[in-house]
Amino acid sequence: MQLTPDDIVVFTLAGWKVNATIVNTWIVMALLVGISMLITRNLRPDVPPNRWRTTLEVIVKLIQGQIEEVTRNSARHVMYFAGTLFLFIALSNLMLVIPGFSPPTSSLSTTAALALSVLVAVPVFGIASGGVGHYLKTFIEPSIIMLPFNIIGEFSRGISLAIRLYGNVMSGAVIAAILLTVAPFFFPVIMDMLGLLTGMIQAYIFAILATVYISSATAEPDHPALKKEDKS
Amino acid sequence: MSIDWVTVIAQVANFLVLVWLLKRFLYRPILDGIDAREAEITRRMAEAGEAEKKAQAAEAEFRQQKKQLLSDQDAVVKQALRESEDQRDSILAEARARLEQEQQDWHKHLERERQKFTAQLQRAGEETLLELTRKALRDLADESLEEAIVRHVSARLRPIASELSDAAGASREAIATTRDPLPEAAQALMQADIKDMLPDISLRFETDPEQAPGLVLRVGGAQVAWTVDSYTEEFDALLSERMAAGASGRVQPAGT
Repeated sequence: MQLTPDDIVVFTLAGWKVNATIVNTWIVMALLVGISMLITRNLRPDVPPNRWRTTLEVIVKLIQGQIEEVTRNSARHVMYFAGTLFLFIALSNLMLVIPGFSPPTSSLSTTAALALSVLVAVPVFGIASGGVGHYLKTFIEPSIIMLPFNIIGEFSRGISLAIRLYGNVMSGAVIAAILLTVAPFFFPVIMDMLGLLTGMIQAYIFAILATVYISSATAEPDHPALKKEDKS
Repeated sequence: MSIDWVTVIAQVANFLVLVWLLKRFLYRPILDGIDAREAEITRRMAEAGEAEKKAQAAEAEFRQQKKQLLSDQDAVVKQALRESEDQRDSILAEARARLEQEQQDWHKHLERERQKFTAQLQRAGEETLLELTRKALRDLADESLEEAIVRHVSARLRPIASELSDAAGASREAIATTRDPLPEAAQALMQADIKDMLPDISLRFETDPEQAPGLVLRVGGAQVAWTVDSYTEEFDALLSERMAAGASGRVQPAGT
């Protein structure tokens, strides 16, 4: 049983084996960008929005509302990052229902890459928000004794994010594969439906957690209450 | 199951590219569009508010103008009524004055006609009276009217001859005035009577077409006369009385 699309080599480009994870990622990216370009190509303030543009506006405003609810400010750069995480993971998980399509999120490499991105984005946003000194100071709070634990916590956050996303997506695929052998025509449908639900939830949780981490790194010193507990 | 680090790096790159692409083609256009639409809505709301204020101001001005117009209209109507009443009063007064003037003119005309008729009637009466008297005297006494007049005047002179002589003063002349020349017989009779009563006074005869028929004798400042005036005046009084009675009879129904 093939559990990860990393092992599927689609083609080789200059000696580099391009696997299904990367190709499927490009497909998801092309879909996201293509739909966005198609809908937003003729945006004018004096033209009333059509239903597609309204749908996109609703999605974007929903993402923006969720992020603002967590960060308590309307920083757009956080939205670009976390929103893209959500849209990418959600669409990837949605495409689970397409026969023969392996979602990129079912690859541990993809989830590790996304977790690595969050891991890097947190200090980057923190430094961009309050400077290097303020960011480093968060590692010795509430006391310098907490420094190793904070460093461990910083890395464990990324690892837990990666494994959580991978585990949820892959668990659905593994369970579906097992049940396929037991009842080939009934259980896979239910599992795919559950997979869609859990996939959307995972996309939401991943994006929200990334936002929480970023917001905790960019929070003002006077507002430490913005730090939230890990919901996992 | 393992992590392919080449794939991880590629996926990180893919994710960063996707972030940039979605930022370029999704978030920024959508959010900018929403902001622009909100700004447009805000601008239109402001314009609508401004237009509403202008409309309210225009409405207030219109109401004020309407009120002013109604007030002016009332004033104009009152003024027109006042002017028409004045004009009506003026026309009525003018018509009344003209009517009164016409009535006065008509009364004057009637009065003139009456006087003219009365004068004609008087003259006719005088002539008739003289002719009748003359005819009656000729038929009854075989005497002319002029001689009878002369004798009547002489009879009135006789008792006052001395006073007439004194009244004559230094003039020493008596003047007998008639409308028509006296016949010679009457003149001779008059001469004889004057010579008998007033021997120092000469008598001269004159005619005056304006004088009433009869004889007027003037001696200095004294005068003795007999004319038909007294009779015609009495005749006029009787005639006027009859005419007045006839006029009232026309105005009031008979028997009242």
